[in-house]
Amino acid sequence: MALATVGVGAEPGARVSKGPGARPRSSGARQFAKALPFIGPSMVGVALFLVVPVIFVFVLSFMSWSGAGSFTWAGIQNWTSIFQFDNAAHSLGVTAYYVLLNIPLQTVLALGLAVMLNRKRRGMAFFRVLYVAPYLSTPVAMALIWFWVFQPQSGAADRFLGLFGITGPAWLESSLWAMPVVAAVNIWQYLGFNMLFFYAGLQGIPPSLYEAAQLDGASKWSQFWRISLPLLNPTMLFVLITDVIGSFQVFDTLYVLTSGGPGTSTQVMSIQIYNVGFQGTRYGEAAALSVLLFGVILVFSVGQFLFFKNRTTYEY
Amino acid sequence: MTTVAIPAPAQAATPPRSQLARKAFQAGKLTVFYGVLTIVGLAFIVPYIFAVFGSLKPESSILTTPPWVPPMHPAWSNYPNAFLSDPEVATGFGRYMLNTAIVTVALTTGQVFFSMLGAYGFARLRFPGREAIFWVYLATLMVPNIVTIIPLYTEMHYFHMVNTYWGVFLPYSLGTPYTIFLMRQFFKNIPQEVIDAARIDGAGDFGVLTRVVAPLSRPVLITAGLIAFVFSWNNFLWPLVIMGSQSHYLLTNGLANFNAGPGAAGYLNLEMVGALITLVPMLVLFVVFNRYIVRSIQLTSGK
Repeated sequence: MALATVGVGAEPGARVSKGPGARPRSSGARQFAKALPFIGPSMVGVALFLVVPVIFVFVLSFMSWSGAGSFTWAGIQNWTSIFQFDNAAHSLGVTAYYVLLNIPLQTVLALGLAVMLNRKRRGMAFFRVLYVAPYLSTPVAMALIWFWVFQPQSGAADRFLGLFGITGPAWLESSLWAMPVVAAVNIWQYLGFNMLFFYAGLQGIPPSLYEAAQLDGASKWSQFWRISLPLLNPTMLFVLITDVIGSFQVFDTLYVLTSGGPGTSTQVMSIQIYNVGFQGTRYGEAAALSVLLFGVILVFSVGQFLFFKNRTTYEY
Repeated sequence: MTTVAIPAPAQAATPPRSQLARKAFQAGKLTVFYGVLTIVGLAFIVPYIFAVFGSLKPESSILTTPPWVPPMHPAWSNYPNAFLSDPEVATGFGRYMLNTAIVTVALTTGQVFFSMLGAYGFARLRFPGREAIFWVYLATLMVPNIVTIIPLYTEMHYFHMVNTYWGVFLPYSLGTPYTIFLMRQFFKNIPQEVIDAARIDGAGDFGVLTRVVAPLSRPVLITAGLIAFVFSWNNFLWPLVIMGSQSHYLLTNGLANFNAGPGAAGYLNLEMVGALITLVPMLVLFVVFNRYIVRSIQLTSGK
């Protein structure tokens, strides 16, 4: 690496460093100065737009700010008011409900599709591409189309049910149905994406394992439970953690489909943060809600990580 | 006990049948298999078809005809109408598209270029604090986006960047930890001899990066560009909070604004045009760069 000082930046007469003792004090600073044009921009970006906001959100959660003017100290007032006034417990419950509707079904379906597509048959690549298309489709645009599908009477869902003489519920205007519809739309959007991870995982399992199991008389079913599933453990961990983190933050689809309604029946944490902050201009309380959500996400990620970490991973 | 012949289990499980019956059974299994895949596929395709049909229906029939019935007399005028800016209709997708294009080009260029610089620094240069700084970068990956929306808005308010294009793309344009991480892995694997050769030819660090490292890293640069492009094109919440006035709306914001417009659901046909012009560039990208997208997924999962 001593070669690195040859070339640009080397002042006339500057000696090429031969060892650590050659330029004891300035060499570190010099190296840093040389690296700065490369790492400088991203350091500014990470500091200003990631590190400072993370620290600031904690500070802001103890302050009062209305979107203009000065900040005033609020103490723990924001924290008490998000529970007493904004009913954050309700939003937490709604968020948990959404995650529960979303994750298990999504994971099972994605795994099922991956298993189906993981064979050497004609057209598998075509179906794989087809199923991933929603993932690359702008969520807001798709949510708008689904909004239309679930319009009472005129929407495709009710018209289709009408063919069989069934009158559909007023999907998005019903506090019973709104959340399952939102979850279904999100599952539709991300199913193919998750399927790809499982597919990649399945492709990584050596066929010899299945051949051996076949010789031992194992059925396809037990091959799946005894070989595929245990070996997919790392993939499962990755998919579940990213999906749970993503689900806790769901915003785009929900904003378009229900905006948290009817009433507050689909008001998840992210929608509440938006409403309290940008609609209610109570940024201190919104910051407190953000910190709360951050905490919940961290606890779940660490929990899932530990759960899967303690299970055996197999080397093959 | 040790050398028991293996009974062929497949035959044991299914009693021997005539060749014809077995063939029919196989064919039936295949039909069910492809049937299921096709039905699932239909569920994935149908919304797009509704949108295409709906975008060509006149206002009078968008809600009165079933969405799966193609338009009898396609209302081609919906397309120019949706593009034009008309405050009454609250849809000016031409303007929104221009805004989205400006922001996306700026964000993608900035993010790829500055991430490339940063990744080179962390992969190929030696300086004090390198590991510590990189560790901070990685730690920020743990922070969910939604958590920083409020403080980031407060910050942008003090930078006077609310309701500006800069406000939308700047936070994501100076290089992002994730992309730097991806590129760094790639840059590290470039053989030192190739770089030394360029240095002997008199190239400095920047020359090495642009003339040797970047050309050799095309796949990861394209992947990074795709990640940035898709992120910017689909971005909704951040532009929603930072863009106050409608003339600054991005496509996503314009689409979501249909509820607030005076026409609400009545203008669904124009909204479907908007949805399609938002979706088409993504789908084209998907078809053209299919290989790289699958690759980016593999990179993400760390396999």
